[in-house]
Amino acid sequence: MNQVIVKAVGLGTLAVMVVLGAWRQPHAADAKTPYPSMAPLDQYLIADRDVEIALARSAAPESISRDAEVMVLGRHGYETAVKGKNGFVCVVERSWTAGIDDPDFWNPKLRGAICFNAPAARSYLPLTIKKTEFVLAGQSRVKMFESLKDAFDRKELPALEPGSMSYMLSKQAYLSDADGHWHPHLMFFVPQTEAAAWGANFPGSPILASVNPEDRMTVFLVPVAKWSDGTADAN
Amino acid sequence: MNRTTGRMIALRSFALVLVLSASQTWGEDAKTAFLTMAPIDQYLMPDRNAEIALARSAAPESISRDAEVWVLGRHGYETAVKGKNGFVCIVERSWMAPFDDPEFLNPDQRLPLCLNPPAARSHLPLTFKMTALALAGLSGTQMFDGIKAAFDKKELPMPEAGSVCYMMSKQQYFGRKYGNADPHLMFWVPKTDDTFWGAGLPGSPVYVHQYSPEPITEFIISVAKWSDGTDAPTD
Repeated sequence: MNQVIVKAVGLGTLAVMVVLGAWRQPHAADAKTPYPSMAPLDQYLIADRDVEIALARSAAPESISRDAEVMVLGRHGYETAVKGKNGFVCVVERSWTAGIDDPDFWNPKLRGAICFNAPAARSYLPLTIKKTEFVLAGQSRVKMFESLKDAFDRKELPALEPGSMSYMLSKQAYLSDADGHWHPHLMFFVPQTEAAAWGANFPGSPILASVNPEDRMTVFLVPVAKWSDGTADAN
Repeated sequence: MNRTTGRMIALRSFALVLVLSASQTWGEDAKTAFLTMAPIDQYLMPDRNAEIALARSAAPESISRDAEVWVLGRHGYETAVKGKNGFVCIVERSWMAPFDDPEFLNPDQRLPLCLNPPAARSHLPLTFKMTALALAGLSGTQMFDGIKAAFDKKELPMPEAGSVCYMMSKQQYFGRKYGNADPHLMFWVPKTDDTFWGAGLPGSPVYVHQYSPEPITEFIISVAKWSDGTDAPTD
């Protein structure tokens, strides 16, 4: 991965790096997304509940995810499928946690397996649940972000807790059409700040960042060497 | 780096991963070789420019070129280069190791690190305090007591939120046992459980060091490349 030409594209929790080469235009120019609106709900659901539980857990090493709470997406939102006992919560996020301009925003194939530590489960996960609630109520992308702004303004969403972080080490995840499962990585959620505060996105830096004004946060990403199953990242 | 059998050995502000194997031994003589302070000259670098360059090598040039740089003099650290991006680069010495580390006063150790602004504000006072105690010729026990008292009296700050540190210098030297270890990032937080970030569990890419007597927890994440862009050794 050439980090000199890598740009962090804010996809909410589905923070994926896109290599900006001559072969690909920046997202803002991707006017012709193949996913202009929400697909039928069934396309976002995983029919086999056990498969979704396993996918969610694959976001972190088994030593962490086996004792985690697991939530799965149903027709009316996320629901607890497995009670946990270590404070971590694993879920499979869908495309609408992407950034407002992301061409994959309505891509029904996206599967963002993620395990949150306890502070992130308390202070970040409510954002995912709230977005999902808006989307399942039939809101458009623009309307969803308007509703999100209202929710923030009414303080219906908690402030990010210090130390909020997550694992995204699933080889089975699908984070975008362009990058597939991308690389195994950790994510750190902090109140909105500049990427430079952590030295992120500079040439040679191992830290990438996505500043997400709509979510009122900055997400820092650190790629790591191995997937949750212990195999090495080939790239 | 075999992370199944790997164990994180942390040296207060610097940390490294080692692989435990039956063939790896640590000489009995070395266990007691560095319990007393060597002549101060052995800890100093006679070439100020060499120390500046070494300090800067802790982070990619895109970060360290605009960082403030401190160097060690006979009476403590002093500013050698003014910075403009809020980062501070410095070469720590062996007394930043845990007090029970066999190489606690190994004069050969050179630990370059670059700290982001929150880390510079909240970690460097500890470095300066430890250095002052070491240069005053105090014993390890006296230093331990001095640091404990300083925290008890709140003379030393707790880690600020978002404290991050780069240790990516290929020239870093942790001593006889660990050599130059591997490139990594470090995150300091007020003392918390190892499991707060899922650290130290099988397969986890996060390692942890619990300071003592400081009420600080250090999380460590290995990265793929040295600051010069070359690949770090794997396994």
